[in-house]
Amino acid sequence: MENVVEFNNVTKRFKDFSVKNIDLQIQRGFVHGFIGANGAGKSTTIKMMMNLLQPDAGEVKVFGMDYKTHEKAIKERIGFVYDANVFFENLNLKDIKRIVAPAYKHWDNTLFTQYVEQFELPLNKSIKNFSKGMQMKASLAIALSHHAELIIMDEPTAGLDPIFRRELLGVLQELMLDGNRTIFFSTHITTDLNRIADYIAFINRGQLVFNDSIHDITENYALVKGRTEFLDRDTEKAFVHINRLSTGFEALTENVSSVKRTFGDSVVVEHATLEDIMFHLKGGLQHV
Amino acid sequence: MFNLIRRDFIIQKRQLVMYVLLILFFVLLGRQDPAFIFLLASIIIPVNTIAYDEKPETNILMNSLPYTRNEIIASRFLGTIVFIILATGVTSVLMYVFNRPFTTTDIAISSSLALFLLSLYLPMSYIIKPGYSAPTALISFLVLAGIVPPIVSYLGERLTSVTDFLLNLPVPIFYTSALLLGIVFYGTSWGVTTFIYRRKAF
Amino acid sequence: MQIIISNNSKEPIYEQITNQIKSSILSGELPEGAAIPSMRKLAQDLQISVITTKRAYEELEKAGFIYSIVGKGSFVAEQDLEFIKEKKLKVIEEQLSAVIMNSREIGLSLDDLQQLLNILYEE
Repeated sequence: MENVVEFNNVTKRFKDFSVKNIDLQIQRGFVHGFIGANGAGKSTTIKMMMNLLQPDAGEVKVFGMDYKTHEKAIKERIGFVYDANVFFENLNLKDIKRIVAPAYKHWDNTLFTQYVEQFELPLNKSIKNFSKGMQMKASLAIALSHHAELIIMDEPTAGLDPIFRRELLGVLQELMLDGNRTIFFSTHITTDLNRIADYIAFINRGQLVFNDSIHDITENYALVKGRTEFLDRDTEKAFVHINRLSTGFEALTENVSSVKRTFGDSVVVEHATLEDIMFHLKGGLQHV
Repeated sequence: MFNLIRRDFIIQKRQLVMYVLLILFFVLLGRQDPAFIFLLASIIIPVNTIAYDEKPETNILMNSLPYTRNEIIASRFLGTIVFIILATGVTSVLMYVFNRPFTTTDIAISSSLALFLLSLYLPMSYIIKPGYSAPTALISFLVLAGIVPPIVSYLGERLTSVTDFLLNLPVPIFYTSALLLGIVFYGTSWGVTTFIYRRKAF
Repeated sequence: MQIIISNNSKEPIYEQITNQIKSSILSGELPEGAAIPSMRKLAQDLQISVITTKRAYEELEKAGFIYSIVGKGSFVAEQDLEFIKEKKLKVIEEQLSAVIMNSREIGLSLDDLQQLLNILYEE
């Protein structure tokens, strides 16, 4: 399996926050979801992937190349979508295209026109008068029109209505028909991921908790509910995090089989959603 | 590189008409020194371009496209020269059409002053917080416009030996050395700005 | 090829896919050598992730139901239908024996049992 992006022990420190020792591999040909609470380090990680930030330690490789020596070659092959509009807001889409298109060797005007039609985008209207959804579609049309192999998106579905989110996922799935493409996107709307993501990376307080296939996640993690008296120092070891309530406990395990061995049928074992996992790994109720 | 410079024209294509009208206004007014009009025309576009450039979104966009940081700064410095030449050309034409006298000395003074001012302004604009550099530029310009002429004339009176020396230099040597000095200054500013920009985080 | 997926089922999605493709093959709906959609196309059509269809196809390949040729796609493999039928028949025999044992325990007659079977079979 070829890795499109590789983070090796990457650290970036800020005054009040840091992203520490990130080891992240992104496999070619798959959709990778990137989840974590607000301020967990998602944007910092994406910025390092785009070389908008340089790590203090460790190395970032994209397509096996280093930004220090191959910045242009790397960025030629990346399509990017950010959550906020980065395009000159006073310009219309036609002018923005005139600025962006010549930057890429493989810009495909026919493809761009096709996306503009598909997304029903006006060419002569200032981008600042676009709705959030239209701005997003415009970014997407630009990101997809130079045959990029890696599409990096920071919160692409934030602030979009469910119908457009569904539409967007359809567009992304169509891109994935080409097995050479890779999509990496951060989000906190986890239902988007359940549909199309192949791998999920989860970052919490600046540290990468896991980066696994959705199968491994659904097979390993589970939500366990039961009576509080079943918990003791020994049985607690089976859980990553436990919420004790007056009505019983709810806990997250990353080892379903050991829970089944320990508790048998005395507890309820349920499929854990990504949200359940995020919530419990973040520390659950106690820290909120 | 050419694309990066062309971008400034696309962004400001509407404002360009405004700039020409503004210059025309000063030409028709006919009160100001020709060198001042040339200078104003030369720096107004670069200062405005920088105001666009310093927005964080713009930096994120430019740096996500396949450009290196060195190229982005290089285009800024080369673009500035292109704008000075164009502005000087347009102003000359307007002056000529409306029959205002001017000399090549006016142009030489305005161009070297513009280069000098922008050499200071460009690196500064990448340090100052976004949104503050244009007001800073305006205030500095007014302050300089207020204090430089008296200082120059004061120095001219007092340091007669220096001015005599400068005035006695053969004209070609005087201009050549002024030009060289300008290039060295501009080049240094370019280097410093690249150094600053490479370390910037967006 | 029709595949219906339930997101609320306890059965994992990849298993739903493998089971449905298997029964299409066993029923003869998908004949030997027939092309089945690429895993990426199937993922798009079902609006699920590629890795899920990939896993389904891998399991089907392991069990000998399909084979894949790089660059060409996936096809239904040659099936030893007689052998599979025989195996299934054996399972049915075992299950029926259990049914008969249970029936005897509660004194259900053969006629009654046949009647019950008829009703269930018709459903």
